[in-house]
Amino acid sequence: MKIFNLFLISLLLISNIIAQDFDFNEPKVSIGGYGELHYNSDKIGNQPTKSSLDFHRFVLFLGYNWNEKWSLKSEIELEHNFVRNGQGELELEQAYINYHHADWFGFNVGVILPSIGLLNEFHEPPLFFGTERPVYHNLIISTTWFGNGASIYSFFNGFDIKLTLFETLNSDKFSYSQGIRPGRMKGYFPDASRFLYSARLDYLNISGLKFGGSVSFNNAKGDSTNTDVIISEIHAKYDANNIVAVFEFGNINYNSGILRKSQGFYFDIGYNFSGFFDWDAKIQPFVRYSDINTASKTSSGGLNEKLYHFKEIMVGISIKPIEQIVFKLDFSERTRESDKRKSKFINLGAGYMF
Amino acid sequence: MLIITFLILILNLIVLPQSIKENVDKAIENCFGKTIRIEYDKLKIEDKLKIHIEKEVGQKFYSDEVYLYRIFNENNLIGYGLLDNVIGKSLPITFLVLYDNSGTILCSEIIKYREPYGGAVQSKDWNEQFKGKNHNSDFKVGKDINGISGATISVYSVTKGIKKLTLLLNNIFDK
Repeated sequence: MKIFNLFLISLLLISNIIAQDFDFNEPKVSIGGYGELHYNSDKIGNQPTKSSLDFHRFVLFLGYNWNEKWSLKSEIELEHNFVRNGQGELELEQAYINYHHADWFGFNVGVILPSIGLLNEFHEPPLFFGTERPVYHNLIISTTWFGNGASIYSFFNGFDIKLTLFETLNSDKFSYSQGIRPGRMKGYFPDASRFLYSARLDYLNISGLKFGGSVSFNNAKGDSTNTDVIISEIHAKYDANNIVAVFEFGNINYNSGILRKSQGFYFDIGYNFSGFFDWDAKIQPFVRYSDINTASKTSSGGLNEKLYHFKEIMVGISIKPIEQIVFKLDFSERTRESDKRKSKFINLGAGYMF
Repeated sequence: MLIITFLILILNLIVLPQSIKENVDKAIENCFGKTIRIEYDKLKIEDKLKIHIEKEVGQKFYSDEVYLYRIFNENNLIGYGLLDNVIGKSLPITFLVLYDNSGTILCSEIIKYREPYGGAVQSKDWNEQFKGKNHNSDFKVGKDINGISGATISVYSVTKGIKKLTLLLNNIFDK
């Protein structure tokens, strides 16, 4: 019996040594971030051209891992250089505790980003074409959409699933021109009697391709309105063999109020020409076509359903000397459906992530 | 006493991160077959070599040691393995690269992934791209290695990590 006991104790010691040997993780702070400087020149219809130089976003990521399973992720963002009298924004965009049990199960709670659309969670400048984020991500699936909530996630056999319980939208703020965008509460004392429920599924096991979609439901409420909102979107991105192709389509249904539906889509096709020349830098010209209508169906019908409908074509180029730094140039023309008014935009940008 | 020891042992097995060793053994068997014998040891990387490789690849080693596996079929050395870590967004990614005895990659596998995002870097298809590469290969994302949407940081980290290990193994051969 003593020998058996000794054997067990030896086994215990050996297993401890092996385990320590392979325990690579240690508590640690990590820092990251991204930023982008933009030059924008906008000519809306017959109005005179307006141009501006804007350090649009400066974001710092701070993380800490207590151990392999428990970590903190946070992001603080300063928009437009400084904050004064309602101009510029200082935002706590992310601040959540993450528990990663294994690939098939993890959860996070705190200030999070709902997993809706391709860009909301992955919005660093080198990751998308165009100096500004696609107009689809301004007006249909608004990024960066952040707020208080919790989500559980699972990655299994190439399927990436996320279920999110998120703060409500404020239905008083919904508008013809911007859909749900002004209704985001940004974590500022959202009404906790109701939530947005969101489910997203992606498939990633085809080399270079990511595709999936999400459905979200919210009984949104403001001081004077109460609206059921259903946000559905599908998305796909292919990035391989020097080709980058993106497609997203989103639809938002509202069951009451003046606004009944917002809808839009866009697609990008880009090609990395440096593949021909064996250059390390990436040179990626692209074209984008967008079709956006934030008020595609309204309770009153008529002109409102055309006034906010536009089509936009963009051509541009992204130059990445290294993967984390990007210089961008793009030209676009937007045509309003109601009166065929044309607006022209020229944008230049420099962005980074680390 | 026996019961207490036994209980501690069980608890120990559950709580401590032994899955890395098991996953490594499994990955080696998947690559080389089951009729093999594995020996492993920690390999200390000389400072001069470490700096040289780090500069060439543009990524620091996680520590000054990696795990070196020697794989035998009966008594014949048929391949090597190197186990190391790279930092993803903020947490280490533990990965294993397996080579034939000329230093050409046979298999690569993510042994442990700890981040909430970018788990697709573990996909077999993506790892399959490293098969056949050696110290002369480019290891450039967008060129000879495809990216993964939503796993950009992990893709770049692991690709550089695999290049580092491949150069390291080649250097061991030179000696």
